[in-house]
Amino acid sequence: MMKKAIYVGIIFIILASGAYVAYKQVEALNMARCLGCLAMEPKTKAFEDFWVEYPSFYTRSGIPEHPSWLVNESRQHVTMLFFWFEGCSACKSQWERMKKYGLVEGGEADGKFTENFSYAKLITIDIINSPQRDALKIYQTEGRMEAPTTVIIFEKNGTIYWYAFSGDANGEGGRPDVETLVKILERAEEEKNGGVQP
Amino acid sequence: MVVCNLNCASCPLAYACIPITIAGVIALRKYRGRLQKKRLASQMTFLFITNTAFLFGATGLIYSYFYCWESPFALMACPIGVLEHAFVDKAWYLLIYLAGSIGFTSIIFGRAACGWACPIGFLQDLTSKRKTKSEWDKKLRILKYIILAAIPPASYVTGQLAYTLICPIGGLTATLPHLLMNPHGYTFTFFFFPKMMVLVGFFILIVLLSRGWCRHLCPVGAMMAPFNKISLLQLEYYEDKCLKCFKCADVCPMQINMPYDTKTAECIRCGKCVDVCPTDALAFKFQWQ
Repeated sequence: MMKKAIYVGIIFIILASGAYVAYKQVEALNMARCLGCLAMEPKTKAFEDFWVEYPSFYTRSGIPEHPSWLVNESRQHVTMLFFWFEGCSACKSQWERMKKYGLVEGGEADGKFTENFSYAKLITIDIINSPQRDALKIYQTEGRMEAPTTVIIFEKNGTIYWYAFSGDANGEGGRPDVETLVKILERAEEEKNGGVQP
Repeated sequence: MVVCNLNCASCPLAYACIPITIAGVIALRKYRGRLQKKRLASQMTFLFITNTAFLFGATGLIYSYFYCWESPFALMACPIGVLEHAFVDKAWYLLIYLAGSIGFTSIIFGRAACGWACPIGFLQDLTSKRKTKSEWDKKLRILKYIILAAIPPASYVTGQLAYTLICPIGGLTATLPHLLMNPHGYTFTFFFFPKMMVLVGFFILIVLLSRGWCRHLCPVGAMMAPFNKISLLQLEYYEDKCLKCFKCADVCPMQINMPYDTKTAECIRCGKCVDVCPTDALAFKFQWQ
């Protein structure tokens, strides 16, 4: 009788069945700001020294509340976090650049440092699906979910030192290029353990 | 939730209200007729709802119209962005959700979201009423379907949000607001100038042609357009009452062949023809049969 009512019903069922899984995914995608998609990247400050407290261009001040799992990691070794998500062009470009340099191997999801850099540990965090994704808000300048973001962090004598930047590591806008990134890693290892072991 | 701190300079609500109020005041004179006043109220309400991320955060709902979800205030997700992500991430269930979201509003209201809710449609209502006599107008309307059809393969092959990189709506509603809010905070990627060029082209188009974006290029409009033929809300034409004065054809912002072609995919249900008709030969009706 009501042909159109049936159409509406069918569409509603499709919506309801799809929504069950998809709503959370779209919500996460919506929270993850991809400035690279907007043809822009955030400016950062060039690396001078590791930070203990938030630097002045962050919207917060004081010592960041580092998550406990990261504190544990940073006690053991110099740790680099790489926040990314599928479909983020700038994340892909940074990952390819690091791969080409020989810094990392594998895909973003299960990537790790190559043998030459095995003194440090790489943790890649998918900001849509990973349970550790909330850590990003701590290290992003404005407290936003913004990819790609790279964080280098280590602990020495109970103090946590860190450096972070958002956007592709291409040496523009104050961000380090991959070569500088490696130097920062080596510097971190030097400060933590007195240098890279041969 | 935002609690009023009696300091308007730091209140996001104040920032959202100022442009909406200005748009409303400019628009008031352009909206003549009973339905048009309601439509203006609807467009302003949706413009406000669209930008309420500071109240509710970013949700997982999908707009049934075009607005960039990377915008600093965007409440919901862009349908084209979701489409691209479905193909880039190979997350096919997003397609079901997208089809359901767009389908649900479109099967009820047809393409009414273009006329009553879309902020970009609102902008075009304010920019131009110019019509064209060119033969090309009808032929070029197929462009929006071609763009829509090209987005999935382009995203799949490149592994990037291919349309977003040059999307003028993204440029207008996200790139520029981000830049305005933090002018020294960004550097530009390779796609910045192409994107701005497309944005300039978009402005030229909507100033030269009434609803030029909706007619020729909008991929979200292309998603909703086919639903016009089967939607519940229909524009009814009563031929016995018609005087054949063709006032409806004169006011139609989409230049549809009024009053005969009321079921066309191009109708955005704005109701200007209903308002202008001297004998009520045109009316909106919900058809269940």
